[in-house]
Amino acid sequence: MSLRGWVTALRDALRNTARGNVMSLASMLSVAVTLLVLAVVVLLAVNLEEMAATAESQVEIKGYLCTARREEVKCGQRDLTEQEIEAILAGIRGLPDVETVTFLSRHEALEEMKRADPAQAEILSGYEGDENPLSDEVYVKVSDVERVAKVAEQIQAMRGVAKVDYGKEIVADLLAFTRAVRIGGLGLVLLLLFATVLTLSNTIRLSVYARRREISIMKLVGATDWYIRRPFVLEGMLLGALGAAVASGVVAWGYIRLAPAIQESVPFLPVVRPELILTDLTLALLGLGAVLGAVASFFSLRRFLNV
Amino acid sequence: MIQLINVTKVYPHMKAPSLDGVNLRVERGEFVFLVGPSGAGKSTLMKLLYREELPTSGQVILDGKDVARLPRRAVPYLRRSIGVIFQDFKLLPERTVFQNVAFALECTDVPRREIARRVPAALELVGLRHKSRALAAELSGGEQQRVAVARAIVRNPVLVIADEPTGNLDPENTWTIMNLLNQINQMGATVVVATHAAEIVDSMKKRVIALERGRVVRDENRGTYGYES
Repeated sequence: MSLRGWVTALRDALRNTARGNVMSLASMLSVAVTLLVLAVVVLLAVNLEEMAATAESQVEIKGYLCTARREEVKCGQRDLTEQEIEAILAGIRGLPDVETVTFLSRHEALEEMKRADPAQAEILSGYEGDENPLSDEVYVKVSDVERVAKVAEQIQAMRGVAKVDYGKEIVADLLAFTRAVRIGGLGLVLLLLFATVLTLSNTIRLSVYARRREISIMKLVGATDWYIRRPFVLEGMLLGALGAAVASGVVAWGYIRLAPAIQESVPFLPVVRPELILTDLTLALLGLGAVLGAVASFFSLRRFLNV
Repeated sequence: MIQLINVTKVYPHMKAPSLDGVNLRVERGEFVFLVGPSGAGKSTLMKLLYREELPTSGQVILDGKDVARLPRRAVPYLRRSIGVIFQDFKLLPERTVFQNVAFALECTDVPRREIARRVPAALELVGLRHKSRALAAELSGGEQQRVAVARAIVRNPVLVIADEPTGNLDPENTWTIMNLLNQINQMGATVVVATHAAEIVDSMKKRVIALERGRVVRDENRGTYGYES
């Protein structure tokens, strides 16, 4: 395919776009709106994912080790020896999916309580040594939040571990939430992609219809399908990319203003910073617009090309 | 050049076949008139030749190749060797005479220098070189058909097919077009013309094939029109 062929096709595409200007503008805008909604959905999903990821990383298992004061039967009402504690920690470290294991003895815990509340320090001093009512604790982080329940179970089963705690309901909710975000987001994105293709293919169909005489002559004199298709495919890509450019512009403008404001008013929410996502989002939207336009043109021409 | 072997064409939703077991042979360089009443199958026969339609059964062989068996992507190349002329000219009215003829070359990726050389030659042949810059819509019917003839021959096709090329023209223009087709034939192309122009068929004394209800009912060299007109 010669360069001149491409130039001619591009010129035709531009001419078509200009000729159907009101229609082209309308379809370009509706593509922009659909892609805008799509971009918003993507931004929301990315932020919710980020939120879920942060929440996930904060999930940890808290294990209480046996002491003479604990009532659990398996503890046998005696303190663990240092060796036993070391063995438990080594055992936990040896479990699959365990990332970090932190140990906090009941004496350290008491010291921390004193530091945290100096007013109570005097009273708390009375509980030092064997009087300490607290338990030695192990904090375990797991690499995958979906494995938390399993790991907790394994730790619970160990000798010398009195009890584990990991916010069962919260983890379950978190998992359900991220799954819903993923499925819902994907469904919505697919729907919007479909809508975009429909819009574009309707416009291209009008453009094809306006040139049906030319197309029939082209076929008669032996133009290849690809030659006939090319300007329309370019026109579709152009409309799609223009729509995407408008959508990207609006989204970028909005997100740059909105993201810091949200971050400021809800500081504990991890809002994805605009500069981290907008470039990728814009490029993705432009590419998507062009690809959808090409796909739409391809389909709207099929009927005209078949003899 | 052209061989039809037992060709039948039945259009969907039509009871009677448009072509019914047609056998036909046209040699390279022949000039053939196709005559017969409207609906006899003349147009259908021509559409099979440039593969606008496919036969329901039988073989349409062009230059030794079975047209129906041609893969889809080969069809454009078949059409580049055939020039087709219609009753309604099929020009692009908002383009100039030159552009209309050049169109056939442009959309088959012929280099521009080649186009600049061949289009004027084709227009010269049909006597319209001086109207190159006129819009097709501004021309008379006869002139428009001559532009269509120029477009059909600009690629030097081996076969020229004309489906009632003079149906919309007055007697004088009819003669011009028929003489042009004859001239193209003299230059080497095989020419097949479907027509109702009785007087011309009678005086040109070419091979005449008559179709009725999809069957060949007459095939004579130096034949006549043979119907009341």
